[in-house]
Amino acid sequence: MQTKFKPGKYENSIDVRDFIQVNYAPYEGGAEFLCGPTARTSALMDEVNALLKAESEKGGVLDVDTERVSSLLTYPAGYIDRENEIIVGLQTDAPLKRGVNPFGGIRMARQACEAYGYKLSDLVETEFSYKTTHNDAVFHVYTDEMKAVRHAGLLTGLPDAYGRGRIIGDYRRVALYGVDKLIEEKMKDKRAYGEKLMDENNIRTLEELYKQIDFLKKLKDMALLYGVDISAPAQNAKEAIQWTYFAYLAAIKEQNGAAMSLGRVSTFFDIYIERDIADGVLTEETAQELIDDFVIKLRITRQLRTPEYNDLFGGDPTWTTESVGGMGEDGRTLVTKTSYRILNTLYNLGAAPEPNLTVLWSERLPEPFKKFCAKVSVDTDSIQYENDDLMRPIFGDDYGIACCVSAMKIGKQMQFFGARCNLAKLLLLALNGGKDEKSGKQLGPEGESFAGALDYDKVRKAYHKYMEWLCRLYVNTLNVIHYMHDKYAYEKIQMALHDTEVERFLACGVAGLSVAVDSLSAIKYAKVTPVYNDEGIIYDFKIEGDFPKYGNDDDRVDKIAADLVREFSDELKKTPAYRGAKHTLSVLTITSNVVYGKKTGATPDGRAAGEPFAPGANPMHNRDLSGALASLNSVAKIPYECCRDGVSNTFSIVPSALGENDEDRAENLADMLDGYFGQGAHHLNVNVFDRAKLVAAMEHPELYPNVTIRVSGYAVNFHKLSKAHQLEVLKRTYHERV
Amino acid sequence: MEEEKDKRATAAQVTAAAPVGYIDSVYCGSGVDGNGLRCVVFFAGCNLRCPFCHNPETLFKQGTMTDINSLVSRLERYKGYFRRGGVTLSGGEPFLQKSFALALVSALHAKGIRCCFETNGHIADAELIGAAEYLIVDVKNQESDDLAPYEKFFAECVRQDKEVRVTNVLVPGKNDGEEKLRALAALVKKYFPGEPSEHIKFLPFRKLCEEKYAELSIPFPYAGIRECERDDIEKANKILQNL
Repeated sequence: MQTKFKPGKYENSIDVRDFIQVNYAPYEGGAEFLCGPTARTSALMDEVNALLKAESEKGGVLDVDTERVSSLLTYPAGYIDRENEIIVGLQTDAPLKRGVNPFGGIRMARQACEAYGYKLSDLVETEFSYKTTHNDAVFHVYTDEMKAVRHAGLLTGLPDAYGRGRIIGDYRRVALYGVDKLIEEKMKDKRAYGEKLMDENNIRTLEELYKQIDFLKKLKDMALLYGVDISAPAQNAKEAIQWTYFAYLAAIKEQNGAAMSLGRVSTFFDIYIERDIADGVLTEETAQELIDDFVIKLRITRQLRTPEYNDLFGGDPTWTTESVGGMGEDGRTLVTKTSYRILNTLYNLGAAPEPNLTVLWSERLPEPFKKFCAKVSVDTDSIQYENDDLMRPIFGDDYGIACCVSAMKIGKQMQFFGARCNLAKLLLLALNGGKDEKSGKQLGPEGESFAGALDYDKVRKAYHKYMEWLCRLYVNTLNVIHYMHDKYAYEKIQMALHDTEVERFLACGVAGLSVAVDSLSAIKYAKVTPVYNDEGIIYDFKIEGDFPKYGNDDDRVDKIAADLVREFSDELKKTPAYRGAKHTLSVLTITSNVVYGKKTGATPDGRAAGEPFAPGANPMHNRDLSGALASLNSVAKIPYECCRDGVSNTFSIVPSALGENDEDRAENLADMLDGYFGQGAHHLNVNVFDRAKLVAAMEHPELYPNVTIRVSGYAVNFHKLSKAHQLEVLKRTYHERV
Repeated sequence: MEEEKDKRATAAQVTAAAPVGYIDSVYCGSGVDGNGLRCVVFFAGCNLRCPFCHNPETLFKQGTMTDINSLVSRLERYKGYFRRGGVTLSGGEPFLQKSFALALVSALHAKGIRCCFETNGHIADAELIGAAEYLIVDVKNQESDDLAPYEKFFAECVRQDKEVRVTNVLVPGKNDGEEKLRALAALVKKYFPGEPSEHIKFLPFRKLCEEKYAELSIPFPYAGIRECERDDIEKANKILQNL
């Protein structure tokens, strides 16, 4: 007889958190219970590795289905190896074959096909010639000014030609309730909305609810293609994982958002797994096998992108972020045995960047779990850490991370992804009286130009003026994008897996923070004189004297950083956001810091024109010279209260500097995380990597195919990075104590 | 050569009576200078002139005059990282600035921060030894066979029941022969229980400091000697274990 789950509120309304809280078993022990891969898992992984190798040899794309448009029911069932798979379902009919998703924009889809030697079929071309895509619609409305700042790279990475992503459906709902119950609840909501005034907002919600219900039905049909009926709740661990995966699969078939994150599934799965083990129908080995098989599927998630997109976000990422661990509001840890099992996939299947395993760190996490995470970091370099003690009071204890650092309550909050503004370039614009330092074109309002040595107060005032101008333009641009995305590329299945009354964030961002901050510090503490070209545009700066640099725990300059993000955040809030969204801000670049650097002229901190920025909130390369902890302390001063969408810090350390042996390294890393997060810091990517090994990997990618490093909120395969990105990683300070 | 005293080091000794010290730099975030994560305070000035010294800037520069309060408030920012770690007083030679070092340790203790010393073991000062949680002593036997200064130092450590971790920079062709290793082992065995190999850690001779010498416009005495490889360390450890 199967043990019954404990009853709770979750039986009367959609409430996955309540189900977890009532039924989960916190685990405070160590990793000794874990099992290695089964022969079946290893054999399947070998097949996947062969496919990955073939994909890499073909230049990054194995195959493209150019005849069909990706959605839930477009492709017949696909398998890697039907007899040997436990969790089934592929995005198309074959592993690593990419589908075409032109809803964001047909041009992008066409170019992506062509870049890899394919041609989008006439059928798709014709079909979309009668359709308005998200991209079409945005450009119908964009003003000249919006186009100009976008073109100049003042605003970059805007989601106006592909899916916006960064939305986490509560995929667990499908397992806990079955699709029929979810449809029933949405129908109820729709009937209730039908009683309201038919104004624009309510009509829009009604139409969206129609789409959600329609796609929930399609989700059922999609599962039926694989011979699985998911109308009722999952009955065991295998079904819970399969149901949840189908829901996620539907989302990545429907949408090609930059970040399509998974949420927080491991502790949810643990409830089913532990019940099955207690009932004698699952063993530790078969439980691990289920998780391994699930993770294999997540590892072969693909979207069709253009090479230009890959220039921006190196390494073909999908940000299948899974948030692991954390503490509950009642003080119990949310770490379970399945938190260990999912991290154990990095050993069983080998290190890999996807899924993007994100440990929610709390000072109160069980010590054995802390040590295990640190050991996994040292061994595989494939975990990022985020401060649960900082986020829990704001987001509760059932939030997840979308992309790299964006927290949201799962199924209750969503965000409108807003990419980022180039703060360093904005400073140059202010110094050039509103002219683009690269093209010489007037981008912003005309302002006064500067002559002779720069005066800090005068520069700061001008910078603020241009910040006011750009923040208003930025929010307006995002409002256009998200209005059109809702209208033409609405996330039907993902929003069906949210509450109907959802809270929205407008997630803005900044890039080039450390360059802007060091530039201001140079102007304040050294003597900086601009050098002009014949057109009167500044192309260089003469810097006399030394100045404090961000990354050395020096308050004189670190305060400039904190003030700058606060100022930017305040300015954003002055322009109302689409659909009542709350403005948030991230300091995050992923790997796009290289491209932003290329688009930015020489800066007053001594950075040459075109030189890469530091990623995210990182101090500039080789300027944080007071040691690793001083660098961390500087970043910890960026206030999360005005950067609610995350503060990303990528930290590289060579193993020999972290400790003398593996055990010391793991202990020291755990201490480092406690010390960093104890100061209210938000996020840390950890690279424990020998510089020599990275150099070798760069010279001989064929010898180091699985080198995983962390780049700003995201782990990538080193060899998938462009040469420029590889050089940039090498240049990043290695905190080597000599 | 090692024993030759520098005028500046002497100057530092004189000023050490005041509650200010001379510091070359502070490095925040070492995992290899004692237990756990550490901040390392590099004292300026040294009584020795080892030809393999990898911190030559601490020998020939006066350093920055620093008062206890500002140094402690800087170090205190890292307390959150010090579950197992703390502050390492290194250099240069921290034992040269006695009153400053003692005042620093006691101020850090008052804040709940532990301290250890990295020293060349030539100044067997009972008070300084008493102030340390433990001591990392680097034995210099590359150019000299006179280990007498260490006898005195170790004896005091033993008297005060202080833990000593011996390091030794292994320089190929200088101190990696059996005779040198035998003498080192005998020294350690005389004062500390168990096998000498448990107490001695060889540090590979590296030339990462060459740029620092170039910057100081002084020749690097061991420029012509090859770097110590992992094999050399393994070989020395093996000899030590088989003695």
